[in-house]
Amino acid sequence: MRSRNAQLSVTAVAFLLGLLVVVQLRSQVGLSGLEARSAQELTVLVANLTSRNDQLRREVATLEREVSDLTQAAARGESSIDRLRIDLARLRVWAGLDPVVGPGIRITVGGLLPGSAVEELINELRNAGAEAIAVGGVRIVPGSVVAGPPGAVSVENTALGDPFEIEAIGSPETLTGSLTRMGGIVAQLSARFPEATITVTPLDRLRLPATDRDLRPTHGTPTL
Amino acid sequence: MASLGERLRRVPSWQVTLGAALLALGFLVAAQLRSEGPRVRYTSQERAPLIETVLSLQRQQDALKTRILELNDAIRELQRRGEGSAALVAELNRQIEAARVAAGLVALEGPGLVLQLTDATGPLPPGANPTDGLVKSDDIRTLVEELWLAGAEAIAVNGERVTVSTAILDIGGSVLVNSAYLAPPYQIAAIGPPGLYDRLSASAGFVDFVVNRADAFGLGLSFAEPERVVVPAYAGTVTLRYARPEASPSPGGS
Repeated sequence: MRSRNAQLSVTAVAFLLGLLVVVQLRSQVGLSGLEARSAQELTVLVANLTSRNDQLRREVATLEREVSDLTQAAARGESSIDRLRIDLARLRVWAGLDPVVGPGIRITVGGLLPGSAVEELINELRNAGAEAIAVGGVRIVPGSVVAGPPGAVSVENTALGDPFEIEAIGSPETLTGSLTRMGGIVAQLSARFPEATITVTPLDRLRLPATDRDLRPTHGTPTL
Repeated sequence: MASLGERLRRVPSWQVTLGAALLALGFLVAAQLRSEGPRVRYTSQERAPLIETVLSLQRQQDALKTRILELNDAIRELQRRGEGSAALVAELNRQIEAARVAAGLVALEGPGLVLQLTDATGPLPPGANPTDGLVKSDDIRTLVEELWLAGAEAIAVNGERVTVSTAILDIGGSVLVNSAYLAPPYQIAAIGPPGLYDRLSASAGFVDFVVNRADAFGLGLSFAEPERVVVPAYAGTVTLRYARPEASPSPGGS
C-alpha cells in the first residue's frame, strides 16, 4: 500500500515535471527577443534583414564566380599568379593594410565634439557602406578608437586639431545622403552639440593612407 | 531480516527521487515565471506572420553566412593548388593568409575576456524612460571601444566578428551587428594580453559606463576570463566597389 502510494506520487510529479519542461522549452524558443517587439519594429527588422541578406547573396554570387574561374583556370593549367595578386591587393585594401584611392566624402568637423560622437559618425559611415575610413589622416581599422573629451580628441595617439577631417571612400551620393538626411546622424549631432559644425563634401577622388597598426595577432592563434 | 534490509534501502531511494523531482519542479516553476520576462508583450494578431518572416530571414542569413565561409575555404584551397612558379605561389598564398587573418576572415582563439550585458530586470529609477532598461547599440559600442583601448586584438559580439566594416546599430528595437540581429544576453568576447580586465576596469570610460549606465539603470554586466576565448571568422561582404589599391594592377596583370 505504501509503495503503491509512493509510485503514484512519483508518477504524478514526473508527469507535471515533463509538462513543465515542455512548456519551458517552448517558451525559450519563442523568446529570442521577438515576442517583445511591436509590429512596427518587426516591419523594420524584416526590411533590414531582407536588404542585408541581399548583400550576402551578392557576396555568395561573387565568390561562386571566383571559385568557378579558379576551377576553369586550373583545368586549363593556367597560372593563377595574377589572380592571387589581385586577391591579395583587394584583401589588403579592405583590411586597411595598404593605401587606397576612390570616390567618397570628406566631413569637416569644427568646434567641440567628443570622441564618442566621432565614433557615432564612423559607425554611420560603415552602415552606409563606406569601404575605407580615415580620421585626421589616420586610417581606421579594428582597434582604432577615436576618444577623448571635446577639445582633446585623439586617435592612435594623434591629437585631432580644430577643425579636423573624416574621409570615407564609397558612393558619394549614398554616403552624403545617409549622413545628411532629415533626422540623420549629422542633424542629431548638431542638435546635441550646437557648438560644433559638421560639413559633408562629396569628392571624386580621395586617397587614404595605410594603417600604422600591426594587425598580426600576438595573443590569439588562427583556428581551422 | 532480509526484507527489512531491502526496505530500509528502498524507502530513502524513492524519497530522494521525489525530493529531487520536487526540487527540479521548483526550479522550472521559477524559470517559467521568470521567462515571462520584463520586456513588454504585445498581443496583436498581425505580429505572428511578421515574427515568422523574421525567423525565416534569420535562417536564410545563417545559411548564406555558412555558404560564404565554405566558398572562402574553397577559394583558399584552389589558390593553394594554383599552377605557376611554386615558390612565388607559396609566397603569395602566405601573404594572402596573413591578410585574411589581419582582416578578421579567420577565427582566432586565445586568452581573453568575455563581458555579458543583459537588460534590466528590476524597477527603473524614477523619471527613467521605459527603454532605458534595455541594452542598446550604444552600450555595446562603448564596451567594444573600451576593450580595444584596453588592448584587445580581436572582438566578437554574440559570435559576430567586429571588423573594419562592422556597424553596431539599433534597428526595429533590436541590436544589429554586421548583418545579424542579436538577442540578449549580449556576450562580447575579446582576445588580448593578460591583464585585459585590469586595464579595462581602470579606464575612466569603462567606470563611467558601469556607474552612469549599467548601475544607474540596473543593466546586468558580468565578466568571465576563460582560458580560451574563441572569436569566429567574419562571414560577410569583402567586395570593394569604389575603393582601389593605390597602384592598381593593370588589367592584364604584370
